[in-house]
Amino acid sequence: MKRLGPDDDPDRLYTVTGGRSRSADDHALDLVTLIVSESDPSAGMQSEHARILTTCRRPTAVVEISAELRMPVSVVRILLSDLLDRGQVTARHPRVPATAQLPDADLLKEVLDALHRL
Amino acid sequence: MPARIPSRPGAAPTPLGAALRTLAVVLVVTGALCLGAVLLVPESVRTPLAWSGGTCAVLLSAAVATAVYQERLARHYRERIGTIKTEAERLANVTMPALVAQLRDGASVDTALGRTDLPAIAAHQRIVRTLAEEVGRGERMRAAAMSACANAAGRVQALATGMLADLREMENRHGEEVLGDLLKLDHTTAQAGRLADSIAVLTGARSGRRWNKPIAMESILRGAMGRISAYRRIQLHSSSDVAIAGHAAEGIMHALAEIMDNAASFSPPSSPVHVYVEEAQAGVVVSVEDSGLVMGEAALQRAQETVSADTLDLMSLSGTRLGLAVVGCLARKHGLNVSFRPSARGGTGVVVLIPQQLVTETRSAAEQPVAAPIAGAPRSVVPAPRRTPEAAPEELPAARPQPRQTPRETPRETPRAADRSGTPADAPAPLPRRTARSGGGTGADAAPAPEFGESGLPKRRRGQTLAAAPMGTEPVRDDARPARSRAESAARFRAFRQAVQGKPAPDGADGPRTSGTPASPPAPSPARPEDETR
Repeated sequence: MKRLGPDDDPDRLYTVTGGRSRSADDHALDLVTLIVSESDPSAGMQSEHARILTTCRRPTAVVEISAELRMPVSVVRILLSDLLDRGQVTARHPRVPATAQLPDADLLKEVLDALHRL
Repeated sequence: MPARIPSRPGAAPTPLGAALRTLAVVLVVTGALCLGAVLLVPESVRTPLAWSGGTCAVLLSAAVATAVYQERLARHYRERIGTIKTEAERLANVTMPALVAQLRDGASVDTALGRTDLPAIAAHQRIVRTLAEEVGRGERMRAAAMSACANAAGRVQALATGMLADLREMENRHGEEVLGDLLKLDHTTAQAGRLADSIAVLTGARSGRRWNKPIAMESILRGAMGRISAYRRIQLHSSSDVAIAGHAAEGIMHALAEIMDNAASFSPPSSPVHVYVEEAQAGVVVSVEDSGLVMGEAALQRAQETVSADTLDLMSLSGTRLGLAVVGCLARKHGLNVSFRPSARGGTGVVVLIPQQLVTETRSAAEQPVAAPIAGAPRSVVPAPRRTPEAAPEELPAARPQPRQTPRETPRETPRAADRSGTPADAPAPLPRRTARSGGGTGADAAPAPEFGESGLPKRRRGQTLAAAPMGTEPVRDDARPARSRAESAARFRAFRQAVQGKPAPDGADGPRTSGTPASPPAPSPARPEDETR
């Protein structure tokens, strides 16, 4: 069993989300959806919201926000959906070129084999 | 008789002696008078006069002697009664309180009896001894029960704390589908932890956790509301950015949790409980207001006495209502000032004044303006020591952590590579888990503040890379990579392998092929500068 480190925060995640564990479904937030803040943090705002707004002055991916806040992505999605509802951030979905595809499996396997042979 | 009162040699003679002496004196005087009278009267009445005079003299002497004896006896007993009364008063007012105080302070019965000057009267001595033994036994029982409770509470605290840490890790690791259940467990565990904390506080044990850093007011309030069942009804109204000193944070959180719990349980289940924070000259004032039952004057008075009593009275614990007693203990410990008053909302308001010496600046607030451009920096705390010059002599140990670092470094590349090549969006999925786990796992880099800046090295901004990628502003990177020759890459990678495997690799033709992996983890020091070019 792990002990809480002295540097952890006393916040529990359910107090951060106000007891919600799912974000509203009308915001399809991907891991790499870029979030841009549309307003500055204001006094009395929940500190996570303020930090998201500060972080997202430049477009930042959901996953990066999650790492920045040190919170699970699902919690960050809930926080972001609050901000989206209030219009304080906007979401930009990444462009996915139509021709995009992964290198095929054979090539990856070849690379892996070469690495193993090192 | 004088032998029985050796302490008072110059005192009055014993009643019997005084009586005899009086008898002798009176006999002499009356005898002389009789003799005189007999000599003065004529011969004829001399004999009857002598008889009657003698009888009278004897009777008078006897009467006077008896009176003196009785008077002396009465005085003697009055003195003795006075002495005994004084002794008894001393026993009641001085000896017993001192003895009981010593026993309460933990002295053993024999020690306490030895330090007390016992009363001279045997019966009093027996009383003192019996009482001392009884009180001593009671004290020992109380101490044993207290330490058993404290011990058990400490173990429950440790379990709850460990479980909270585990749950937090699981919340980081698992996806949305189990998050709700994990949060529910988390909440229940936090409440169990509060109960254990309460028992620990009442039994005088140390509180569950220590925080090594100031805790922001918002976290204090949320930490407090997270420990009560009806946390959804708590509404925080705080724009204060002060923080509470780490050593007092846990206690204040706990006290506020108990107050909030009281407010929530004594108000209608649908009504909110409002918590306001304001900064005052004397400290920070937290008011908790409910709109429930109005406490009567007597109830307010009683609550006030409970939280401001000088010592904890275990008799006042009623079994189910521990909250206010706990608040009282914590208020004494941290110098909080708790007062009750009727609330303007119709219920009861509790005002907690946190004294100024427990209030500090929050670390993150001080850096908030700075944090904006470099918001990503803090997580680089772990690799930082490797950049210091003295890391060079111990190259092998320094290289050893590299494999662990590999997953930390590689995912940063992945999204960019993915975006460039247009990978489907779920490709970088492992990223949040790894970063989150590395954050929660090691306490070392859990600090929210970017301390890394002390080394004077430039800081990268998290997210910059990904944000810049789709716009194609990555020429530096692309130019920089071919600048490294294939042979150099191979040599580096070989050095890395040697460090990891602990044996020299054969100089084979494998070298050049390795250069095809641009995302290879950098070898100890020469590769680090590339971080700064990004």
